[in-house]
Amino acid sequence: MISASSALTSSSNRVSKRQNLLYILIVVLSLCGMADAIYLTVEHITGQSVRCTIIAGCSEVLSSSYAVVAGFPLASIGALAYFSVFCLAILALFGYRMAGLLLTPLVAVMCLVSIWLIYLQAFVIHAFCQFCLLSAAITFGLTALVVILWRIGRLTRI
Amino acid sequence: MKRILPFLIILAVLGVALGSAWYLKRSATEIHPVGATTNAKGASPTNSPATVSTTGVPGAEPAHTLGPANAPAHLEEFGDFECPPCGVLHPILVQMHKEFGDKLKITFREFPLVPAHQHAVAAASAAEAAGLQGKFWEMHDLLYENQKAWHEVFDVRPIFEGYAKQIGLDVPRYQQDVNGEAVAQRIFQDGKRGHSLNIKGTPTVFLNGREVPFESLPADKLRVLINVELAGSR
Repeated sequence: MISASSALTSSSNRVSKRQNLLYILIVVLSLCGMADAIYLTVEHITGQSVRCTIIAGCSEVLSSSYAVVAGFPLASIGALAYFSVFCLAILALFGYRMAGLLLTPLVAVMCLVSIWLIYLQAFVIHAFCQFCLLSAAITFGLTALVVILWRIGRLTRI
Repeated sequence: MKRILPFLIILAVLGVALGSAWYLKRSATEIHPVGATTNAKGASPTNSPATVSTTGVPGAEPAHTLGPANAPAHLEEFGDFECPPCGVLHPILVQMHKEFGDKLKITFREFPLVPAHQHAVAAASAAEAAGLQGKFWEMHDLLYENQKAWHEVFDVRPIFEGYAKQIGLDVPRYQQDVNGEAVAQRIFQDGKRGHSLNIKGTPTVFLNGREVPFESLPADKLRVLINVELAGSR
Protein backbone atom coordinates (compact mmCIF):
# COMPACT_ATOMS: atom_id res chain seq x y z
CA MET A 1 0.00 0.00 0.00
CA ILE A 2 2.84 2.33 1.00
CA SER A 3 4.81 1.52 -2.14
CA ALA A 4 1.72 2.15 -4.31
CA SER A 5 1.26 5.53 -2.64
CA SER A 6 4.93 6.48 -3.08
CA ALA A 7 4.79 5.41 -6.74
CA LEU A 8 1.75 7.66 -7.20
CA THR A 9 3.57 10.57 -5.51
CA SER A 10 6.67 10.10 -7.65
CA SER A 11 4.53 9.94 -10.82
CA SER A 12 2.67 13.08 -9.74
CA ASN A 13 6.01 14.85 -9.12
CA ARG A 14 7.17 13.87 -12.60
CA VAL A 15 3.97 15.31 -14.12
CA SER A 16 4.31 18.48 -12.06
CA LYS A 17 7.95 18.89 -13.20
CA ARG A 18 6.89 18.39 -16.81
CA GLN A 19 4.09 20.95 -16.40
CA ASN A 20 6.54 23.46 -14.89
CA LEU A 21 8.93 22.94 -17.78
CA LEU A 22 6.06 23.59 -20.22
CA TYR A 23 5.08 26.77 -18.33
CA ILE A 24 8.72 27.95 -18.49
CA LEU A 25 8.71 27.34 -22.26
CA ILE A 26 5.45 29.33 -22.51
CA VAL A 27 7.06 32.17 -20.53
CA VAL A 28 10.06 32.20 -22.90
CA LEU A 29 7.89 32.09 -26.04
CA SER A 30 5.56 34.81 -24.76
CA LEU A 31 8.57 37.05 -24.07
CA CYS A 32 9.78 36.49 -27.66
CA GLY A 33 6.28 37.32 -28.93
CA MET A 34 6.17 40.45 -26.78
CA ALA A 35 9.53 41.64 -28.14
CA ASP A 36 8.34 41.10 -31.73
CA ALA A 37 4.99 42.83 -31.11
CA ILE A 38 6.58 45.79 -29.26
CA TYR A 39 9.02 46.28 -32.14
CA LEU A 40 6.14 46.24 -34.65
CA THR A 41 4.09 48.64 -32.50
CA VAL A 42 6.94 51.15 -32.31
CA GLU A 43 7.54 50.78 -36.06
CA HIS A 44 3.85 51.47 -36.62
CA ILE A 45 3.68 54.47 -34.29
CA THR A 46 6.80 56.09 -35.76
CA GLY A 47 5.70 55.35 -39.31
CA GLN A 48 8.79 53.26 -40.09
CA SER A 49 6.69 50.24 -41.04
CA VAL A 50 5.22 52.14 -43.95
CA ARG A 51 8.64 52.64 -45.50
CA CYS A 52 9.76 50.28 -48.28
CA THR A 53 12.68 48.03 -47.42
CA ILE A 54 14.82 45.56 -49.30
CA ILE A 55 12.57 42.74 -48.04
CA ALA A 56 9.25 42.90 -49.83
CA GLY A 57 6.00 42.51 -47.95
CA CYS A 58 6.28 44.22 -44.58
CA SER A 59 5.41 47.70 -45.79
CA GLU A 60 2.41 46.34 -47.76
CA VAL A 61 1.11 44.35 -44.79
CA LEU A 62 1.78 46.92 -42.07
CA SER A 63 0.39 49.83 -44.05
CA SER A 64 -2.82 47.95 -44.90
CA SER A 65 -6.14 48.75 -43.23
CA TYR A 66 -5.93 45.42 -41.36
CA ALA A 67 -2.94 46.66 -39.34
CA VAL A 68 -5.20 48.91 -37.25
CA VAL A 69 -8.12 47.78 -35.07
CA ALA A 70 -10.39 50.43 -33.52
CA GLY A 71 -7.64 53.01 -33.86
CA PHE A 72 -5.02 50.83 -32.16
CA PRO A 73 -2.12 49.20 -34.03
CA LEU A 74 -2.86 45.47 -34.24
CA ALA A 75 0.70 44.86 -33.03
CA SER A 76 -0.06 46.64 -29.74
CA ILE A 77 -3.01 44.33 -29.16
CA GLY A 78 -0.65 41.43 -29.90
CA ALA A 79 1.84 42.77 -27.33
CA LEU A 80 -0.95 42.93 -24.75
CA ALA A 81 -2.00 39.36 -25.58
CA TYR A 82 1.57 38.04 -25.21
CA PHE A 83 1.94 39.94 -21.94
CA SER A 84 -1.28 38.32 -20.68
CA VAL A 85 0.06 34.88 -21.65
CA PHE A 86 3.30 35.70 -19.84
CA CYS A 87 1.43 36.77 -16.67
CA LEU A 88 -0.80 33.68 -16.65
CA ALA A 89 2.13 31.31 -17.22
CA ILE A 90 4.17 32.92 -14.43
CA LEU A 91 1.22 32.71 -12.05
CA ALA A 92 0.54 29.09 -13.04
CA LEU A 93 4.21 28.31 -12.44
CA PHE A 94 3.81 29.62 -8.89
CA GLY A 95 0.79 27.42 -8.25
CA TYR A 96 -2.13 29.67 -9.23
CA ARG A 97 -4.33 26.97 -10.78
CA MET A 98 -6.90 29.36 -12.23
CA ALA A 99 -4.20 31.12 -14.28
CA GLY A 100 -3.29 27.84 -15.97
CA LEU A 101 -6.93 27.26 -16.86
CA LEU A 102 -7.29 30.74 -18.41
CA LEU A 103 -4.27 30.15 -20.65
CA THR A 104 -6.17 27.70 -22.89
CA PRO A 105 -8.96 30.04 -24.15
CA LEU A 106 -6.54 32.97 -24.51
CA VAL A 107 -4.03 31.01 -26.60
CA ALA A 108 -6.89 29.47 -28.62
CA VAL A 109 -8.15 32.94 -29.57
CA MET A 110 -4.59 34.06 -30.43
CA CYS A 111 -4.15 30.98 -32.62
CA LEU A 112 -7.39 31.69 -34.50
CA VAL A 113 -6.42 35.34 -35.01
CA SER A 114 -2.99 34.23 -36.31
CA ILE A 115 -4.62 31.88 -38.83
CA TRP A 116 -6.91 34.71 -39.98
CA LEU A 117 -3.91 37.08 -40.34
CA ILE A 118 -1.98 34.54 -42.40
CA TYR A 119 -5.06 34.14 -44.61
CA LEU A 120 -5.21 37.95 -45.06
CA GLN A 121 -1.53 38.11 -45.99
CA ALA A 122 -1.80 35.22 -48.46
CA PHE A 123 -5.14 35.93 -50.14
CA VAL A 124 -6.12 39.54 -49.53
CA ILE A 125 -2.94 41.64 -49.21
CA HIS A 126 -0.84 39.26 -51.35
CA ALA A 127 2.29 39.98 -49.32
CA PHE A 128 3.97 38.45 -46.30
CA CYS A 129 5.65 40.29 -43.46
CA GLN A 130 8.39 38.28 -41.76
CA PHE A 131 7.73 39.83 -38.32
CA CYS A 132 4.03 38.91 -38.57
CA LEU A 133 4.98 35.38 -39.62
CA LEU A 134 7.36 35.15 -36.67
CA SER A 135 4.52 36.17 -34.37
CA ALA A 136 2.25 33.53 -35.91
CA ALA A 137 4.97 30.89 -35.46
CA ILE A 138 5.31 31.86 -31.77
CA THR A 139 1.54 31.63 -31.30
CA PHE A 140 1.46 28.19 -32.94
CA GLY A 141 4.30 27.15 -30.60
CA LEU A 142 2.27 28.40 -27.63
CA THR A 143 -0.77 26.50 -28.89
CA ALA A 144 1.25 23.28 -29.11
CA LEU A 145 2.53 23.76 -25.54
CA VAL A 146 -0.96 24.48 -24.21
CA VAL A 147 -2.30 21.35 -25.95
CA ILE A 148 0.46 19.25 -24.32
CA LEU A 149 -0.34 20.84 -20.93
CA TRP A 150 -4.00 20.08 -21.41
CA ARG A 151 -3.23 16.44 -22.27
CA ILE A 152 -0.96 16.04 -19.23
CA GLY A 153 -3.65 17.57 -17.02
CA ARG A 154 -6.26 15.21 -18.40
CA LEU A 155 -4.02 12.16 -17.89
CA THR A 156 -3.37 13.09 -14.27
CA ARG A 157 -7.11 13.46 -13.68
CA ILE A 158 -7.66 9.93 -15.09
CA MET B 1 7.73 36.18 -0.28
CA LYS B 2 6.82 33.31 -2.59
CA ARG B 3 3.31 34.75 -2.96
CA ILE B 4 4.61 38.15 -4.08
CA LEU B 5 7.44 36.87 -6.31
CA PRO B 6 5.33 36.18 -9.46
CA PHE B 7 3.85 39.69 -9.26
CA LEU B 8 7.32 41.18 -8.83
CA ILE B 9 8.50 39.28 -11.92
CA ILE B 10 5.46 40.51 -13.88
CA LEU B 11 6.09 44.11 -12.80
CA ALA B 12 9.78 43.84 -13.72
CA VAL B 13 8.95 42.48 -17.19
CA LEU B 14 6.33 45.20 -17.70
CA GLY B 15 8.92 47.82 -16.77
CA VAL B 16 11.51 46.38 -19.16
CA ALA B 17 8.89 46.17 -21.96
CA LEU B 18 7.73 49.77 -21.52
CA GLY B 19 11.34 50.96 -21.21
CA SER B 20 12.36 49.17 -24.42
CA ALA B 21 9.33 50.56 -26.26
CA TRP B 22 10.21 54.09 -25.11
CA TYR B 23 13.87 53.62 -26.10
CA LEU B 24 12.95 52.21 -29.53
CA LYS B 25 10.51 55.06 -30.16
CA ARG B 26 13.04 57.68 -29.07
CA SER B 27 15.79 56.30 -31.30
CA ALA B 28 13.38 56.00 -34.24
CA THR B 29 12.19 59.61 -33.97
CA GLU B 30 15.56 61.24 -33.35
CA ILE B 31 16.84 63.34 -36.22
CA HIS B 32 20.10 61.67 -37.14
CA PRO B 33 22.94 63.66 -38.62
CA VAL B 34 24.40 62.13 -41.75
CA GLY B 35 27.20 59.86 -40.61
CA ALA B 36 26.25 60.61 -36.97
CA THR B 37 28.69 63.46 -36.60
CA THR B 38 28.63 66.31 -34.14
CA ASN B 39 30.44 69.59 -34.29
CA ALA B 40 33.78 70.15 -32.66
CA LYS B 41 32.26 71.89 -29.64
CA GLY B 42 30.16 68.82 -28.95
CA ALA B 43 26.87 70.67 -29.31
CA SER B 44 23.76 68.71 -30.13
CA PRO B 45 23.59 68.32 -33.90
CA THR B 46 19.84 68.95 -33.91
CA ASN B 47 20.37 72.44 -32.53
CA SER B 48 23.08 73.53 -34.88
CA PRO B 49 22.40 72.62 -38.49
CA ALA B 50 25.28 74.63 -39.92
CA THR B 51 27.91 72.69 -38.02
CA VAL B 52 26.81 69.22 -39.06
CA SER B 53 29.38 67.76 -41.36
CA THR B 54 28.18 65.59 -44.21
CA THR B 55 29.85 62.25 -44.69
CA GLY B 56 29.18 59.36 -46.97
CA VAL B 57 30.48 58.87 -50.48
CA PRO B 58 29.40 61.54 -52.99
CA GLY B 59 26.93 59.66 -55.23
CA ALA B 60 26.35 60.24 -58.94
CA GLU B 61 27.64 63.55 -60.25
CA PRO B 62 26.16 65.86 -61.30
CA ALA B 63 23.24 65.07 -59.01
CA HIS B 64 19.64 65.65 -60.12
CA THR B 65 18.60 68.81 -58.32
CA LEU B 66 15.79 71.36 -58.29
CA GLY B 67 16.37 74.85 -56.94
CA PRO B 68 19.57 76.88 -56.63
CA ALA B 69 22.83 75.21 -55.58
CA ASN B 70 23.32 77.67 -52.68
CA ALA B 71 19.77 77.39 -51.28
CA PRO B 72 19.79 77.57 -47.45
CA ALA B 73 17.71 74.38 -47.15
CA HIS B 74 18.68 71.19 -48.95
CA LEU B 75 16.44 68.14 -49.12
CA GLU B 76 18.09 64.99 -50.41
CA GLU B 77 15.71 62.15 -51.16
CA PHE B 78 16.71 58.53 -51.65
CA GLY B 79 13.82 57.08 -53.58
CA ASP B 80 12.58 54.05 -55.45
CA PHE B 81 10.05 54.73 -58.22
CA GLU B 82 8.18 51.51 -57.45
CA CYS B 83 7.87 52.17 -53.70
CA PRO B 84 4.31 53.36 -52.85
CA PRO B 85 5.35 55.64 -49.95
CA CYS B 86 7.84 57.35 -52.32
CA GLY B 87 4.89 57.91 -54.64
CA VAL B 88 3.01 59.49 -51.72
CA LEU B 89 6.00 61.72 -50.91
CA HIS B 90 6.34 62.91 -54.52
CA PRO B 91 3.46 65.48 -54.52
CA ILE B 92 4.61 66.69 -51.07
CA LEU B 93 8.08 67.49 -52.41
CA VAL B 94 6.54 69.16 -55.49
CA GLN B 95 4.48 71.30 -53.10
CA MET B 96 7.57 72.16 -51.00
CA HIS B 97 9.43 73.14 -54.18
CA LYS B 98 6.59 75.48 -55.16
CA GLU B 99 6.23 76.95 -51.66
CA PHE B 100 9.88 77.57 -50.83
CA GLY B 101 11.14 78.38 -54.33
CA ASP B 102 14.75 79.59 -54.30
CA LYS B 103 15.19 78.86 -50.60
CA LEU B 104 15.04 75.11 -51.13
CA LYS B 105 17.21 72.73 -53.14
CA ILE B 106 15.87 69.22 -53.74
CA THR B 107 18.16 66.38 -54.77
CA PHE B 108 16.94 62.99 -55.93
CA ARG B 109 19.11 59.91 -55.43
CA GLU B 110 18.34 56.51 -56.92
CA PHE B 111 17.85 53.75 -54.36
CA PRO B 112 16.02 50.93 -56.19
CA LEU B 113 15.11 48.19 -53.74
CA VAL B 114 16.06 44.88 -55.25
CA PRO B 115 14.64 42.22 -54.96
CA ALA B 116 11.61 43.78 -53.23
CA HIS B 117 10.54 45.70 -56.33
CA GLN B 118 10.87 43.91 -59.66
CA HIS B 119 10.76 47.04 -61.86
CA ALA B 120 12.68 49.39 -59.56
CA VAL B 121 15.94 49.19 -61.53
CA ALA B 122 14.13 49.49 -64.87
CA ALA B 123 12.35 52.62 -63.63
CA ALA B 124 15.56 54.10 -62.22
CA SER B 125 17.27 53.35 -65.56
CA ALA B 126 14.44 55.05 -67.49
CA ALA B 127 14.77 58.18 -65.34
CA GLU B 128 18.57 58.23 -65.66
CA ALA B 129 18.40 57.65 -69.43
CA ALA B 130 16.00 60.61 -69.66
CA GLY B 131 18.47 62.55 -67.51
CA LEU B 132 21.18 61.99 -70.13
CA GLN B 133 18.94 64.00 -72.47
CA GLY B 134 18.27 66.66 -69.80
CA LYS B 135 14.77 65.44 -68.94
CA PHE B 136 15.27 63.56 -65.69
CA TRP B 137 12.60 65.42 -63.72
CA GLU B 138 10.00 65.03 -66.47
CA MET B 139 10.50 61.24 -66.45
CA HIS B 140 10.74 61.23 -62.63
CA ASP B 141 7.33 62.92 -62.38
CA LEU B 142 5.71 60.60 -64.93
CA LEU B 143 7.06 57.48 -63.21
CA TYR B 144 5.71 58.53 -59.82
CA GLU B 145 2.39 59.86 -61.12
CA ASN B 146 1.73 56.63 -63.03
CA GLN B 147 3.26 54.23 -60.50
CA LYS B 148 0.04 52.24 -60.09
CA ALA B 149 -0.31 51.85 -63.85
CA TRP B 150 3.04 50.11 -64.35
CA HIS B 151 4.16 48.47 -61.14
CA GLU B 152 2.15 45.28 -61.64
CA VAL B 153 2.76 45.03 -65.38
CA PHE B 154 4.98 42.17 -66.54
CA ASP B 155 6.98 44.08 -69.17
CA VAL B 156 7.42 47.77 -68.37
CA ARG B 157 9.76 48.64 -71.25
CA PRO B 158 7.05 49.65 -73.75
CA ILE B 159 5.36 51.78 -71.08
CA PHE B 160 8.58 53.60 -70.23
CA GLU B 161 9.34 54.08 -73.93
CA GLY B 162 5.87 55.62 -74.22
CA TYR B 163 6.80 58.06 -71.45
CA ALA B 164 10.09 58.81 -73.27
CA LYS B 165 8.10 59.68 -76.40
CA GLN B 166 5.61 61.71 -74.35
CA ILE B 167 8.30 63.96 -72.86
CA GLY B 168 9.97 64.42 -76.25
CA LEU B 169 13.08 62.28 -75.85
CA ASP B 170 15.08 60.97 -78.78
CA VAL B 171 13.63 57.45 -78.37
CA PRO B 172 16.32 55.45 -80.23
CA ARG B 173 18.97 57.17 -78.09
CA TYR B 174 16.88 56.52 -74.96
CA GLN B 175 16.62 52.82 -75.90
CA GLN B 176 20.38 52.67 -76.24
CA ASP B 177 21.10 54.62 -73.04
CA VAL B 178 18.65 52.79 -70.81
CA ASN B 179 20.82 49.66 -70.84
CA GLY B 180 24.08 51.56 -71.08
CA GLU B 181 27.05 51.83 -68.75
CA ALA B 182 26.51 55.54 -67.93
CA VAL B 183 23.03 54.88 -66.55
CA ALA B 184 24.14 51.79 -64.61
CA GLN B 185 27.06 53.73 -63.12
CA ARG B 186 24.83 56.58 -61.93
CA ILE B 187 22.44 54.16 -60.19
CA PHE B 188 25.41 52.33 -58.69
CA GLN B 189 26.99 55.56 -57.40
CA ASP B 190 23.75 56.78 -55.81
CA GLY B 191 23.22 53.34 -54.25
CA LYS B 192 26.79 53.44 -52.93
CA ARG B 193 26.08 56.81 -51.30
CA GLY B 194 22.86 55.45 -49.80
CA HIS B 195 24.65 52.43 -48.33
CA SER B 196 27.43 54.63 -46.97
CA LEU B 197 24.73 56.61 -45.14
CA ASN B 198 23.31 53.35 -43.79
CA ILE B 199 19.97 53.72 -45.53
CA LYS B 200 17.61 50.82 -44.89
CA GLY B 201 14.53 51.81 -46.87
CA THR B 202 12.80 54.35 -49.03
CA PRO B 203 11.89 57.12 -48.97
CA THR B 204 14.76 58.35 -46.82
CA VAL B 205 15.11 62.11 -46.73
CA PHE B 206 17.93 64.24 -45.39
CA LEU B 207 17.41 67.91 -44.61
CA ASN B 208 20.68 69.83 -44.52
CA GLY B 209 22.52 66.61 -43.81
CA ARG B 210 20.23 65.26 -41.09
CA GLU B 211 17.84 62.39 -41.59
CA VAL B 212 14.21 63.42 -41.36
CA PRO B 213 12.17 60.86 -39.37
CA PHE B 214 9.61 59.14 -41.57
CA GLU B 215 6.77 60.43 -39.40
CA SER B 216 7.88 64.01 -40.19
CA LEU B 217 7.45 63.60 -43.93
CA PRO B 218 3.80 64.75 -44.23
CA ALA B 219 3.66 68.27 -45.75
CA ASP B 220 2.71 70.13 -42.55
CA LYS B 221 5.55 68.61 -40.53
CA LEU B 222 8.13 68.87 -43.30
CA ARG B 223 7.21 72.54 -43.81
CA VAL B 224 7.92 73.23 -40.14
CA LEU B 225 11.31 71.51 -40.35
CA ILE B 226 12.28 73.46 -43.48
CA ASN B 227 11.23 76.72 -41.81
CA VAL B 228 13.37 75.87 -38.79
CA GLU B 229 16.35 75.34 -41.12
CA LEU B 230 15.66 78.61 -42.91
CA ALA B 231 15.37 80.46 -39.59
CA GLY B 232 18.66 78.92 -38.47
CA SER B 233 20.44 80.02 -41.63
CA ARG B 234 19.52 83.72 -41.19
